[in-house]
Amino acid sequence: MAFAGTLFFKKETIPVNLIFIYKKIIPVILLFTAVLFSNEIIAQKKIDSTAIADSILQKKIEQQLLQSANQPMQPAQPAPQTTRSGISANPDIGVVADFRSSYLSSGKRNFDAYLDETEMSFQSVVDPYIRADFFVSFGRDPITHQYGASVEEGYLTTLALPAKLQLKVGKFREAFGKINPTHPHALPFIDLPNAIVNYFGEDEGLNDEGFSVSWLTPTKGFYQELVFQATSGAQASPTFFRGDNNRFVYLGHLKNFFTLSDNATLEFGLSGVTGPNDSSNVTNMAGVDLTYKWKPVQLNTYKSLTWQTELLYSNAKYSASKSSNSFGMYSFVESQVGKRTFLTGRYDYAQKPYDRSIVEQAFSLSLGWLATEFQKIEFEGKYTTVNVLPDFNQFWLRWIFVIGAHGAHQY
Amino acid sequence: MKNIISIFTSLLIISNLQAGTIKIVTTTMDLRSIAEMVGGNKVSVQSIATGYQNPHFVDPKPSYIISLSNADLFVTVGLDLETGWSPQLLSSSRNAKIQKGSPGYVDASEGVGLLQVPSSLNRGEGDIHIYGNPHYWLDPLNGKVIARNIAEGLERVDPANKAYYEANLSAFFGKVDAKLKELEAKMAPYKGTKIIAYHNEWVYFERRFGLVIVDFMEPKPGIPPSPSQLVKVIREVKADKIKVIISSPYFTTSSSEVVSKETGVKVLSLATSAGAFPTVKNYFDVFDYDIEQLVNALK
Repeated sequence: MAFAGTLFFKKETIPVNLIFIYKKIIPVILLFTAVLFSNEIIAQKKIDSTAIADSILQKKIEQQLLQSANQPMQPAQPAPQTTRSGISANPDIGVVADFRSSYLSSGKRNFDAYLDETEMSFQSVVDPYIRADFFVSFGRDPITHQYGASVEEGYLTTLALPAKLQLKVGKFREAFGKINPTHPHALPFIDLPNAIVNYFGEDEGLNDEGFSVSWLTPTKGFYQELVFQATSGAQASPTFFRGDNNRFVYLGHLKNFFTLSDNATLEFGLSGVTGPNDSSNVTNMAGVDLTYKWKPVQLNTYKSLTWQTELLYSNAKYSASKSSNSFGMYSFVESQVGKRTFLTGRYDYAQKPYDRSIVEQAFSLSLGWLATEFQKIEFEGKYTTVNVLPDFNQFWLRWIFVIGAHGAHQY
Repeated sequence: MKNIISIFTSLLIISNLQAGTIKIVTTTMDLRSIAEMVGGNKVSVQSIATGYQNPHFVDPKPSYIISLSNADLFVTVGLDLETGWSPQLLSSSRNAKIQKGSPGYVDASEGVGLLQVPSSLNRGEGDIHIYGNPHYWLDPLNGKVIARNIAEGLERVDPANKAYYEANLSAFFGKVDAKLKELEAKMAPYKGTKIIAYHNEWVYFERRFGLVIVDFMEPKPGIPPSPSQLVKVIREVKADKIKVIISSPYFTTSSSEVVSKETGVKVLSLATSAGAFPTVKNYFDVFDYDIEQLVNALK
């Protein structure tokens, strides 16, 4: 219902910045819809004309059948050994679960062990025009320690829009940088970088209801995708907050992907997001991400190296006289040291968004062991310094497994 | 607004224009090779995977989406061989012509006589393929099924050239028959010969050329060789006087070399796909190369 509320409202209540959506974006979407259906109408007309010429077609079929009778038989193929199994109209269903234990050197409660998250995925093509992806998460609230269920993501994606456009509607992880759109179980470390936690939270990240339009630009020689997303901001994060007005969160992301060789790729992305904060003012953020991957094509299950860095900048306005500029970044190197073993080192730097004088720095090392592609065990140690607090250490042990079907994650 | 309408109208017209050739994207090099032989000069073909790459584990790089977004025909091995990467690429391609169920989507496995179809699925048995063993292109006769499926796909998207594709298809069938006769004659002296394979991907090849694979280096499909498995294989090699372990370019040979040092068995890295080695340029070269290697090793 929250999402429906973002699309259907009385025109007289629309603020000036949303009139742009009415006048520019909605007509364009309507145009695409019209084009889409015009193709259907054209196709329908073709079918109608074919029906008129049915008798001609019948004659052609009879002629071809006669010709094929005179041709030599196709070479005999071995009869199928058995019929195919598993034909089903059900969606692909998978479960990813994440058991953890942790140690924190400060405070009274140092040790913990828990089932962090159980994610159930339901994914399928709906019809020739859209597919649906739903991820329901059963997790423990980090504050109350109570288990609860929530829709982590649930969205429809178009498959057949013209002009290389793709529309996504629903609740989804937003396309800011590289970490935020990625499900945590697919990351090569257990915790999130401090900068991501400070800006987007350690639970769901920047993840909200709305729509996303992406365009595959007609570049030659490299992949470029431009994404625009508008979300309601109903899912509160440390940076953005849905107030009692019609201010939404608007996000843009430009992804550039270069193939340097068969074995090496480089991705460079720019992100920008603006939206209301918890003081009913506006926060603007910008981000830059850079990812280099080396993975030899021939032995890609044995060796690989990834270097990824993200820089984040925030300008938060809290009142007419008070605002705060802050910066955060992380950089990690993940090395596949054996067929099943991965080693990741990461550096974090993060200023607090509300007070840039508070600075966190952290160094972490993670060791991951993949028994198969369906199971991995990870250990991470992290040393954190905060200029206004004593230094502290953290350790985590995580055991993740997947049962059922689980689609590939983004490269 | 007029400008926006004219820009998108132009884009629509451009996207609907018929290009000079049919653009085909295949998941593997063997499909590419067969598509080139059936499509002749009417097609341009690109393969996502290389010939020396494990087709189960191809990274879904965004750069592949560019080719798919412009393709008229998409050809897949199917049977969940590419399930870890091709569905995501297809969904991201924004190309309605090649989605599953569309005229431009070709599942090359349609009509193949499948082997090792499981009656139940349990991942405790390793990487089991739910529809059956998907490495069917390693039987040249299945090459005919692949070619027939590709020809039918081409005829759906380019019916004007149906006669041309049918003529190429007949020529391809003739080549397969001649090649198979030649290769079966070479392998005839070795019918029933026991061998070891690294991974369970040779069942169609084994059946066609009369070999008997007695065990695998992997204790279960997708599980790396364990010490106990190596001991078991060493015993089998000695007991059955096995001369050859066959593997693929994308598997390391260190564990096979251990068995070789213990027993003297030869380790052969065979081509599982066109492009696996510099001399293996097309689908027929795969069988020429592999049979030559085997015959030399088994002499």
